[in-house]
Amino acid sequence: MRKFTFLFVLVAVLMIASPVYAQTGGAPAGNWSVPIGVGLGMGLAAGLAGLGQGRVAGAVAEALARNPGARAGIQLALFIGLAFIESLVLFTFVLLFLRTA
Amino acid sequence: MPEQLWFTEFLNHYFGGAANALLHAVGIQPTYAEAPITNAVAMEILVVILLLLFFFIVRARLSVEKPGGLQHVAETIEEFVADQAHGVIGHGYERYVPYAVALGYFILLGNLLGLVPGFESPTAAPVVPLGCAVLTFVYYHFHGLRTHGVRYIKQFIGPLWALSWLMLPIELVSHFARILSLTVRLYANMFAGDMVTLAFFSLIPVLVPTLFLGLHLMVALVQAFIFVMLTLVYLGMAVSEEH
Repeated sequence: MRKFTFLFVLVAVLMIASPVYAQTGGAPAGNWSVPIGVGLGMGLAAGLAGLGQGRVAGAVAEALARNPGARAGIQLALFIGLAFIESLVLFTFVLLFLRTA
Repeated sequence: MPEQLWFTEFLNHYFGGAANALLHAVGIQPTYAEAPITNAVAMEILVVILLLLFFFIVRARLSVEKPGGLQHVAETIEEFVADQAHGVIGHGYERYVPYAVALGYFILLGNLLGLVPGFESPTAAPVVPLGCAVLTFVYYHFHGLRTHGVRYIKQFIGPLWALSWLMLPIELVSHFARILSLTVRLYANMFAGDMVTLAFFSLIPVLVPTLFLGLHLMVALVQAFIFVMLTLVYLGMAVSEEH
């Protein structure tokens, strides 16, 4: 059993490793700030939007628990609210993509 | 020469000359003269063909006593959108349902086409959602003008005349931002879904990307719903009566 686990881990590591090796030397050396900026920006946007969407989901769960009959209206508000929050992340994504590509 | 899907190649082989002539007639020089039809346009045409086929089959088999499976699907989608429109717009919503349903079908099928190997989502190219967003923009302003006439401008200058100089630019910017947000939301969702699947495919090319295809399927449904919903919300705002 342990041998199999070891084998699978080894195969997984090798599979992950091949694209990593393939990428060496691709990026220009002087532009080290771009990946850091992209990572920070995307991480900030996604994390903060996660906080916001968590609040929305929490409020929806509470509202549904109080009044399950109002499901249709609550779901409408849920979807539209989530879409607006999520679109901010996607704006960031597109902007980063445009600036780096 | 760009990379072409088989359907794009097929279209370019048979209709490339006609497309070139059409583009020259309106004064546009295609980037690749030998392949003027891009993947996104080809996929759009495919979606339209599939939808026409769907509607023809449903129309031919329409029956009150024994509705078939396809008719049930069509009726369910239509009723769902009509229900939402009734909730958002209220009185007089029937007029706007056909546009919303047609838009919903187009975007839904466009999103789902990306899940089939050998095709890609037309909505994952920015121009296609942009077209839908501009159409929606024109449509709801047209109906706002039709309903309110000249008084439609009241929605832009706010309740106070003294503050109108402040409200007008804000409202104008917010209305044009709707085009941007509708476009980018749909485009970026589809594009990001493809990218995530691709990223995990490059990490572990067995089995794991299927999970993300499933996620993409859900995103495709939700985004089509959101686009239609926001269209209805904007319509409802434009045509709402003052009380």
